[in-house]
Formats: sequence, C-alpha cells, structure tokens
Amino acid sequence: MRVTKGAQIVAGTALLALAVAACGGGASDNGGTAAGGGSDTTPVRMELGEPQELLVPSNTTESEGSEVLAAIFEPLVTYDENKNAVEAAAESITSDDQKVWTIKLKPGYTWQNGEPVVAQNYVDAWNYAANQENAQSAGYFFQRIDGWADLNPGEGKQVTAKGMKGLQAVDDTTLKVTLAAPFSQFKVMLGYTAFYPLPKAAFGPDGKVTQAFGEQPIGQGLFKVDKPYKKGTDQSIDLTVYDKYPGKKPSNWTKLQFKLYTDSDVAFNDLMADNLDIHDSLGPAAIAQAKSSLGERYQDQPDAGVGYIGVPLKYNPELNKTDVRKAISMAIDRKTIAETVFSGTRSPADDFINPAIAGYRQGACKACTYDPAAAKKLYEEAGGPKKLEIGYNADGPHKEWIEAVANNLRANLGIDASAKPFEKFASILDELDAKKYTGLFRMGWAIDYPSAENYLAPIFSTGAIANGSNYGGYSNKKFDDLIAQGDQAASVEEGLKFYQQADDILNEELPYIPVYFYRNNSGYSTKVKNVHINLLNQVEWADVEKA
Amino acid sequence: MGRYIIRRLLQSIPVLLGATLLIFAIVFALPGDPIAALAGDKRALPNIVAILREQYHLNDPLLVQYWYYISGILFHGDFGRTFAEVPVTQIISGKIQVTINLAVVALIIEAAIGVGLGLWAALKRGKAIDTMILASTLLLISVPTLVSGFILQFILGVKLKQWTGLDVFPIAGISEGLRSYLLPGFVLAGVSIAYLTRLTRTSLAETLRADFIRTATAKGLSRRRVVGRHALRNALIPLITFLGADLGSLMGGAIITERIFNLPGIGNQLYMSVYLREQPVVVGIVTMLVLVYILANLVVDVLYAVLDPRIRYE
Repeated sequence: MRVTKGAQIVAGTALLALAVAACGGGASDNGGTAAGGGSDTTPVRMELGEPQELLVPSNTTESEGSEVLAAIFEPLVTYDENKNAVEAAAESITSDDQKVWTIKLKPGYTWQNGEPVVAQNYVDAWNYAANQENAQSAGYFFQRIDGWADLNPGEGKQVTAKGMKGLQAVDDTTLKVTLAAPFSQFKVMLGYTAFYPLPKAAFGPDGKVTQAFGEQPIGQGLFKVDKPYKKGTDQSIDLTVYDKYPGKKPSNWTKLQFKLYTDSDVAFNDLMADNLDIHDSLGPAAIAQAKSSLGERYQDQPDAGVGYIGVPLKYNPELNKTDVRKAISMAIDRKTIAETVFSGTRSPADDFINPAIAGYRQGACKACTYDPAAAKKLYEEAGGPKKLEIGYNADGPHKEWIEAVANNLRANLGIDASAKPFEKFASILDELDAKKYTGLFRMGWAIDYPSAENYLAPIFSTGAIANGSNYGGYSNKKFDDLIAQGDQAASVEEGLKFYQQADDILNEELPYIPVYFYRNNSGYSTKVKNVHINLLNQVEWADVEKA
Repeated sequence: MGRYIIRRLLQSIPVLLGATLLIFAIVFALPGDPIAALAGDKRALPNIVAILREQYHLNDPLLVQYWYYISGILFHGDFGRTFAEVPVTQIISGKIQVTINLAVVALIIEAAIGVGLGLWAALKRGKAIDTMILASTLLLISVPTLVSGFILQFILGVKLKQWTGLDVFPIAGISEGLRSYLLPGFVLAGVSIAYLTRLTRTSLAETLRADFIRTATAKGLSRRRVVGRHALRNALIPLITFLGADLGSLMGGAIITERIFNLPGIGNQLYMSVYLREQPVVVGIVTMLVLVYILANLVVDVLYAVLDPRIRYE
C-alpha cells in the first residue's frame, strides 16, 4: 500500500501523543497486574461501589462504606451460623432488666496507632454520633439510649448536654449503658457499623472527627488502611492485615484491595477476565452467565432485605379495607416476578420477616399466595377502587417489577392499574406527605441489625410515623403493645415470641404487601476459595484462602 | 491576531456565567430533596436534615444559592464541596486527567483511522474498496456507543483472554496505563471515525477536481506530492473544524464510555453527581466542559488562519 506523506504525519503525531497520554495515565497504580502466582503480596481484590461518605462509622449507613469499615473495625458482636449474636470485641454483654446493660471488653485489642482500647472510646464515639450538631446519618441508632433526646433537641435548638446520661465508662474495660426503655434485642444491635468505637486520634481540637481520620480510619480490627483514601480520585482502597489483631487472621494472604466500580456488570466482566477475585453484588444480567461459567464459585443465598408494595393507609381511605389489600396481594404472581423479572435474584415473599433472620415462618402470610380467582371475588365484594397507581422511583431497578405487578392487577382484578415513575424515592415520600399522591408505592427495607424486631417496629409501629420509616401511617394499638412486650422480654428468644405475634397481625392486615425477599448473588475467581458472606452481607475475611 | 484572541477570551466570561446559572437552575429545578435522598429508602431524622439543609444553603432561593456559589469562587477560589465534604476542585483535578487522556486517545484514533480511510476511499473513488469503506462507516454510525462498548468489552476483554490467554485489553479501570485507554478510546471515537472518514473522502474528492490540482499535475509533480502537499492541505480545513468541535463532544460523550469501562473520569463523576444532585460538582464540571468547548473553538479558528493565508482576522 502506498502511504502518503499526510498519513505519515498523522500516524507520527498519533504515536507521539499516545506516548504522552501514556505518561499522564495512572501508571502509578499497578496493584492488580495479572499473573501473580501464589505470592503473599498480591492482594485479594474485592468489588466495591464508591462509598457515599468518607470512612466514618457513625456517618455510614450504606453497604459500600460499611463493607470497608467492617474490615478495619471489630464490632462488639458478630453473628454465628444460627443467626445469633455472639461476642467479638466484647467479653460479655449482660442485663438483668433489659434496661441497664453491662458490656465488658475483651482484652487484647489495640488501636492500629498503638493507643489502648478503653471503654471511654465507645462513650466518645457514641456521644459524637448521637449529637445532632455533628449531623451523623447513623445518629438515630442511639435513640434507645437514655439521654439521646438531650443531644437531639430538634431543629434550630442548641444542644446543651455534653453526652448521653445513659452512657458511662465504669472503668477501662466496662461500659454501662442505660436505655430509656427496656429492649431485649439491644445486644443484637451492637454488631452494626454505628456502634464501632473511635480512638482519641479520631477527634480534632474542635471535638469533631477529622477529615484525615475519614480518609484513613484507625480501627482495632483485622485490617489497617495503607494510605489515605482520596474520595473522588482513588480507584481502590488498599488494606493490610494488622499484625497485632488478636482474632483469627487469613491463613495465606495479607493484602486486601477494594476495587471501586460504578457498574456491577463491568465488575462481573472483570471477574470473568480474572482481574477481580470477589464480587458480592451480581446483577440480574450477570446471573445467568455466572451460573454456567463460575459453577461452584457462584453463590446464591438469602439476603435480609424485603421488597413491598406500600399502602398509604393514612392518605387513602379506599385502601383502608383489609380485604382490598388482601385481594391486591393475592392477585400478584410473586413466583413469576421473582423468577422472570428478577432472573432468580429474588424469592417470593411469604412473611414480613425475611428467611435470613431468626423468626421467619414459611407461609405465614396466607394472602401472599397467588389466587387470581379468589382475589377478583374478594376485591369486588370489598368494593376496591377501579383505578390504582403504583409509584416507583426511576433511579433504581424497579420499573420492570412494578409494571409486572400493575399487569397482574389489571388482568386479575379487572381494574385500571398503572405504574407511575418518580424521580427519587424521596419524591414519592414528599408527595405522600403533601397528599398530592394517594396511590400505592414501591418500598424496600434492608435491615440495620439482624433481629425480627427490625422488620416490624421501624416500619409499622405508631411511633415510627413521626420518627421512623412508617410511610403508610399504619397504626395498631395491639401491634404496638406486642412490640413493647417483646422489647421488655427477658431474652432475645423470649422477645421473638411476641414479635411473631406482632408479625401475625401484619400478615392478617397487610399494611404493606410483601412481594419479594432479596437474595445475595456472589461469585469469586479461581484464585480464592472459602468465600463466605455473612448476615450483614460482608465477606468473612479470616475464612478466605488463596487457592 | 493577539487582540483577536484576547477579545475571544473576554467574550467567554459572560458565556461561562450564563452557563453556570443555567446549569444551576436546572439542577435546582430537579424534584426531591437531595439530603432526604441521601438516606435511600429510609427517612432521615428531621433535625439532622434541617441542619444539613442549612449547611448547604438548600433553603435559600435560587439566586441566593447561586450568589454563594459564585462569590465562593470569585473571592475565595472555593468551588464548593460534595455532600461527603470533599472539595470539588479535588474531585475535578483528580479525574480530569483520565478524561483528557481518553479524549486524546480517542481523537488520535479518530484522526488516524478517519483521515486514513477517507484518503484511501477518495483516491479509490468508485472502486470496490471505496464502497466497502462507505458501507462499514454506515455500520459504525448506526451502532450506538452503548452497544459497541459492551460488545467490544465482552469480546476483546473477556473472551479473548479466556480463549487465548492473551491479556491485551483491560476492561475496567486505568491500572494498566495506556493500554487501559485503547479500547474505550476506540469505542468513544467510533461514531466520529465514520463521520470523519466521509468528510475526508468528500472534501478530498472535491479538492482533487479543482483547477489547481490539474495545474500541479500538469506541471509534472508526482501524484504523491500533488495529493500530499496540495490537495490534502486544502482539504484539511473542514476536517480541523470537525476535530475541534469533536474534542468537546468527546469530553461529553465520555459519560457513557467511562461508565462502561469503569474509568474514573469526569463523565463518570458527572453522572454520579447528577444522581446525587450535588450542585457544586455538576456546575463545576459543566463549566469546565464549556471552557473546553470555547478553547477548542478558538484553537480551530486560529488554525484556520495558519492553514489558509486567505483567512485572516480583523
């Protein structure tokens, strides 16, 4: 082929500029080159979305930041295979009356900067989290502790208290927590991110957690952070096993790398190409392929979340009849939705409590069984509305299943049902509050701590209308009483009985209509084995081995 | 010429102000409370929401918010912060290099392939190869970036490695330096390659028919010299215009490409920030893109004068 001079110039410039671009490109970061062999220094690479906030436990309520923090901090309790809370950083957690709790710390834990871990670290961290002036997103977790209200006087009011009066470090290893009211599940809560302690070094001279700490948190857990994480710039968060960690460590590796992805399917392609080791949030598109190409390295397990159709009881009297809601529930073909729309990444819901958590009873929700004929009859007898809208937030993957539900209602109840998109979930709530929207709405719940109570009180108790996630405005005295009885029960198991009775009321009255349970779909590469994902959807790092 | 450039730069100030105000208003008009949205499906505590709204001036009217933003830039050089308290300047400076690398790689691929194919087609006009090039550019134009991106990623990134063991094209991130940009650069350049090929072909074909080419050929100059020196130089003018304008659209088009290949660039950030409704970041990035457009246009206009002495300003 003849090459003209013009083309030569263009090609020459091209090569030159490519070289320039190469120099500018992130040549600095080469952690993750292939062909590692079994060497100790190649990290185990884990998929992660960008954390929403800097890495501060009390300001982290989403899964990505929590995943990183869980690797750095040791919680007071973890959860065993039987879904029970067991002591981790705590030696013992006891209470006689479920109101005053004594937490003894286990010896041997040190902060990664050399400070000793003392009970005061917990007091400081929790008081900081609960104080409204620090605007921490997980501040509400401390609501049950006596004195929380002093730190949260409300909008526009000055905080005058120094801390919560229910929180006291008796000595270096003993923490005394007094709750405002008895709560049998308190120990179960303590595994959550918000309850991690903070070292002295976390606080600046102004008493606030410093930005430097948020970029490179100092924990007392398995891993320490290698270098400050520059949010918005860094593409990975690199950790190394902390050698003074007293608990179980991974057997044959020491480096962990969280690789940040914006798209779960791209991360899956990277897993297939062996550039990634663990991916714990496979999307529906990846599942079919994952099953066939990963084989045993594909894992499918229940995940604690629930998806509902929300009912605005408070705003729409037409939906106030229990039979109308039952009929709607029976008209929804959950099995097909779970299998077809979600390609098996969900399972059909049949209780308000998720199977991943102790307290779930199979088939507890009788009206969750698909029965179009009975549904139509019931709906007509109860005189349900001829027109129904189901609102969903279009910024998430909800359109398909909401439309499937609308189709079910149209076909099975013979009514005019339609899906109505909203910008964000917050816009649905805004319009519900303003009574501009009175239709059904899509709702999801991910638990904060693995207790049956967490599926009930925060969403359906009367108190949660003002201070929780009770968006439908459901209120039932008997339900509230049973929750209170469960809270006061002498033990976690005792409490569960009352919670299940409260759950029975929900299954009978259907303030929301449960549609599916989430599932956790994960996969891992050929380079690792023994990957277990726990109740909080976090990888059990000490178990993971390099293959 | 100098005065012309200065005047053009001064003119860009009102353009920038207008663009920021417009973007500000658009983000402002989006429904839903960004602070409440941060809490996901749960409801944030009202007192915390109130404190955060106050902190980010979200309760003030549009113009007051805009004033906070602009005065922060003008008087303190402060471009605002994200909801995670990260300065916008840190975010943009950390990501702009990635997008520039990507745009430059795309521009080079586009120029090399586009001009090369166009030249070839123009010289072989009417022959089989010309038809083939035209047909393939048609195909290139018809396939959206989203589709070609995922297909190429899957075939060249995943399957090629599985079949042959060769690790040629990384499919996500920038850890492999230049190699990381090749595939996304090609995908980003895709549609523009087709336009550029057709533009080059037409432009060159027209020039080749011009009188001065006949004269040059009649003088006995070699074909190579006629095409390279006389025809191509003249045909280059519309191409430069196209490439200049395209630099801007490449930076914008990076939104899709960067997402597909998980490149931590401006496009990816813009998407996330619009999603989270982080006004300062959205406005900062868009302002920067506007600036790139203005500068690219200026460079194009100056290059005109260099390429064609008949075109002079003032």
